[in-house]
Amino acid sequence: MIEYIQSALLIISAILIIISAIGILSLGKDTKNKVYARIHIVGLFDIACIIAMIGLGQFLLAGIYFILAPFTAHAIANAYWKREDRENNSELQNIVEDVDENHPFLHPKEKMQALESENSEKLKADERFSVTTLEIDEGE
Amino acid sequence: MEILLIAKYLVVIALIIMMFAALRASAYKSTSMGLLGSSVVVVAFAMALLVGGSIYDLNFFRDISLALIFFGFVGTVAFAVVLGGDDK
Repeated sequence: MIEYIQSALLIISAILIIISAIGILSLGKDTKNKVYARIHIVGLFDIACIIAMIGLGQFLLAGIYFILAPFTAHAIANAYWKREDRENNSELQNIVEDVDENHPFLHPKEKMQALESENSEKLKADERFSVTTLEIDEGE
Repeated sequence: MEILLIAKYLVVIALIIMMFAALRASAYKSTSMGLLGSSVVVVAFAMALLVGGSIYDLNFFRDISLALIFFGFVGTVAFAVVLGGDDK
């Protein structure tokens, strides 16, 4: 019975590895942020390897790799962002926000920064002591 | 069991396909892609060693694969830190 479970885990991991291999090669030329997408696909490969390690009975190795794999992915993405993506694509720094003024939950960044600054009228108003009285109309 | 052996060979074949895909990916022009591809090749080779060790019942393959995974991680992170440089 255990052999069947091990075989199932190994076959699942083999299928996932082949899917990730196809995914790495099949991203088109016009795809934006290809490097991040490939790092994402390698995450699938990492999980497939962990499943295969569990299938082979190497639980300690699987646990170690489960902890180490996200650090690798983050380190590569961070290095790419700091040295290549930010340097070559300067328009990434200028994010244009298109937020509706009347949206109930989303507010423009400038408006929030003005509210949070030290000279904000809202903060000055909050410093005063104020008592609010509620009028309860029992007729309703 | 025979099905276990077939599954192990399937994993090895998938890992070889993944190694070729990672080699192709590391040939793209970005330096980070080279780093990513080499990292994938190292992990795939470690996994192939692990499977081969279980097929032929060789226990020291597991130790080699542990060393490859651990030092591959260290090398990748170290190179990524050097590549990233100081934050402005």
